[in-house]
Amino acid sequence: MTASDSNKLSADEIALYDRQIRLWGMAAQANMRSARVLLVNIGSIGTEVAKNVVLSGIGNLYVLDEHVVREEDLGCQFLLTKGDVGAQRAQACLPRLQDLNPRVNLQVDCAALSSKPREFFQGFDLIVATELRSEEITALNKISRALGIPIYVAGSNGLFSYIFVDLIQFESTEEKLKSGRSTECGHVSSNREVIDVQVRHDEDDPKKVYEKITTRNSYKPFHELLQSATLQDKLTRRQAKRVNNVLPLTVSCLTQHPGSLKDLQRNVVQTCNDLHITAENLKPEYIEQFYTQLGIEFAPVAAIIGGAVAQDVINILGKKASPLNNFLVFDGITLEMPIYEF
Amino acid sequence: MSRASNISKIIGPQNLEKLRSTKCLLIGAGGIGSELLKDLILMEFGEIHIVDLDTIDLSNLNRQFLFRQRDIKQPKSTTAVKAVQGFNNSKLVPYEGNIMDTTQFPLHWFGSFDIIFNALDNLAARRYVNKMSQFLQVPLLESGTSGFDGYMQPIIPTETECFDCTKKETPKTFPVCTIRSTPSQPIHCIVWAKNFLFAQLFAADITNDADDETKDWGTTDEEEIKRIKQETNELQELQNIILSGDNSQIPKIIEKIFIHDIEKLLKIDNLWKTRTKPVPLTESQIKTDLTDRDMDLSTVWPIADQIQKLSSITNKLMTRMKAENNHIEFDKDDEDTLEFVATAANIRSQIFHIPMKSVFDIKQTAGNIIPAIATTNAIVAGLSALVSLRVLSLLNYAKISKPTELNMVFTAKASNISQNRYLTNPTLAPPNCNCPVCSRVVRGVMKIPRNLFGELKLKDLVSILAEKYSFDSEELSVLDTTGHRLLSDFDFDSLDEKTLEEIKIIPGTLLLITDETENDDGTCLKPLELYIDEIASDDGKMSDISLPDMKIPLTKITSTTEEDNKPVEDVVPQNNGETIVLDLEDEDDEKVKKRKFAGADGDDALSKKSKSDNEIEIIEEDDIIALD
Repeated sequence: MTASDSNKLSADEIALYDRQIRLWGMAAQANMRSARVLLVNIGSIGTEVAKNVVLSGIGNLYVLDEHVVREEDLGCQFLLTKGDVGAQRAQACLPRLQDLNPRVNLQVDCAALSSKPREFFQGFDLIVATELRSEEITALNKISRALGIPIYVAGSNGLFSYIFVDLIQFESTEEKLKSGRSTECGHVSSNREVIDVQVRHDEDDPKKVYEKITTRNSYKPFHELLQSATLQDKLTRRQAKRVNNVLPLTVSCLTQHPGSLKDLQRNVVQTCNDLHITAENLKPEYIEQFYTQLGIEFAPVAAIIGGAVAQDVINILGKKASPLNNFLVFDGITLEMPIYEF
Repeated sequence: MSRASNISKIIGPQNLEKLRSTKCLLIGAGGIGSELLKDLILMEFGEIHIVDLDTIDLSNLNRQFLFRQRDIKQPKSTTAVKAVQGFNNSKLVPYEGNIMDTTQFPLHWFGSFDIIFNALDNLAARRYVNKMSQFLQVPLLESGTSGFDGYMQPIIPTETECFDCTKKETPKTFPVCTIRSTPSQPIHCIVWAKNFLFAQLFAADITNDADDETKDWGTTDEEEIKRIKQETNELQELQNIILSGDNSQIPKIIEKIFIHDIEKLLKIDNLWKTRTKPVPLTESQIKTDLTDRDMDLSTVWPIADQIQKLSSITNKLMTRMKAENNHIEFDKDDEDTLEFVATAANIRSQIFHIPMKSVFDIKQTAGNIIPAIATTNAIVAGLSALVSLRVLSLLNYAKISKPTELNMVFTAKASNISQNRYLTNPTLAPPNCNCPVCSRVVRGVMKIPRNLFGELKLKDLVSILAEKYSFDSEELSVLDTTGHRLLSDFDFDSLDEKTLEEIKIIPGTLLLITDETENDDGTCLKPLELYIDEIASDDGKMSDISLPDMKIPLTKITSTTEEDNKPVEDVVPQNNGETIVLDLEDEDDEKVKKRKFAGADGDDALSKKSKSDNEIEIIEEDDIIALD
């Protein structure tokens, strides 16, 4: 295949991916085909991410997962069946994942994440990691930073979930219909800066004017984010009072894994102080139910989080929409999903 | 640890047992439906009944993850059920059928479910299911996606807003003259090529349009109207050439459309005072070469290639006409019809100094294709599955005291609405007191013994209703909202002596009964909507007819416009994507005027807040071309 051929989609591919090419264009679809993505752990969120990127036509997906299938995995993973209990999870998922889209180059690896040397990660354009402990996230993030690889980390606590994103520095260009005022270059928030604006008139309808905005997103590594996370001066007083409880509870559990409910009750008050928000909204029964659900996977939540992560992965590979920046929590009760820039 | 240990920790063992005995209805096994089926199974719902009328298409496979290349053309519902067997633990019941088919899915069938999940792709079915949920007071979880945009709305009948409480975006319209005489955008040329040219040459019945006098031409310019009329007649002559099968005449067709018609247009000076004049093709551009060549559908071809392709495709379609009963409908997946429309639209664009488009792009506009992706569907389905736990009161620490505490959801970040929220989650609003579906009517089921449908006359029905609910039988109007027919009112009684069977009032018919007699205080009785059901008896008597016991409440007569007073369900589905639009004002014999138009056929039409430029739904109603 020559270089120009590799950038052109075949008629079959255009027919298969028709409904998404109409959204993100042929070029973005072709970019996805050359991407190499590492997925660490194929649990419930991992399965959802894998399903979405495989269906969308990612070029190469490498699944690293040392886990063995347990009975309870069957309640939250649609790629597993009863007969898989006791087998290597990545291996068990492989044939059904491949069947979703035979065009994708899939590889699985049942080795431990900790056994992998730095060089192993060099070949990837992007890492998605799930079901990791804080120390593991920190260690992996250190490598991803050193190698300049964007990373998404997601984890779930029953009805509650989070996404951490570190793209190091990332420039995205998106086109928006111009509203009243022109967009100007400069910081729009602590982590985002508009660095270029181009104006384009619609060729079909000259009255429509688009702005092509290039934004530079800066990010923080995981450990630094946890240490410095604060909402001070970022929210109005009214907003500060209404911060979703899931934020301090999630940050607290990531900062220091609670050994007991008492631990969590104590730690979360400290986290609220660090974040500069009130701890008054945290009812004991709320903390208790959060504690009961620590580390639990739940299919519908995994679908939402896996959907959001995969969407952003697709977006940054196509360099289309502005990426997530940099910490999201999801509350499965109120369906609130705020994005915090720390 | 068992399979259900996670969900058990989240909702508790007792609620898990309740969930395992819950029977739910999932309508749609497409983009959202595939995802929902997976979520509901993994959540341990006891029984899931899944309905879909569609078969699997190649373009579904980028998101409908239960389907494979080998499943193409298979029914979605049964294929989905087979595909989940590896991880399924629930009782699954698939149905192939249209959810609006009252024979297959009568009202009482809907009543056997604890909760309904909508995973539909069209407005008509959404409205219908919404109405069924209102009849039965069954909670409905409504959802939809379009590209990056998605929403999910729980509907708790009588407690929260129903699907029709908020106005759905009405289609954009183009006047006839823009399409026929003064196009300025590619869409104008595409609509012209598809709805006028193609329809006239290949899909028109050979009849004359009689009601020229009442037609809205979108212009008052006599000269131009005359020209449009003449052009229509001439198009019929072109149709005759097509029917003759004589392919040596193809250049003549192209000359007529792209030279002579444009020259005629140029003679109407009024049109070109402020516009750039079109430039007709020249005769030397039109060749007699009818060879069909393979072209790259994703690029824009030079004008010479457009003309050549149009000639060769016309030749192909001419040959096909004989084999296909002299009638070919436009179908975006029928490449010949698509390429005809695309090349004709592009040549016209060139003439009017409008940019040409690739066949790929024109397919989207002409075929009403709505972009659809796996991720948005997964997110929306996950939200719908998740909120069902609260709707069914299965989250002990998040019990709601009233349904308006529940949340609906819209995508925010992906839809470019917000950078600080991935989702927007407003709490539900109470019903809109002006909603024509949930607030401005009362509802009930009328049960009639099977044998009486052939005996009972319409006037008997009217008097039974008048007596039961104190309506003024002289003022009563009876409208069949399923078939959109006025059956009886103060100056229309010619059907009164007919039996129910004769006027097609059958089990499943919806009747709207209105008595607008104004009381002294400016009130009148609320309209009554009746679902006609049958009693399985062959010797039933009049006294066996049952009607709900209730007093019809009064309502203020509001000074709403004619438009607002029309029942919302002006547009009713016929079958798979096809829809009838009717005009209730029409005075002709059948009291209705039907026009076909293509409904949205993309996946998961987002009706609630469609704002993407890509969502296009072409509707033809009274010669106004409408776009969603």
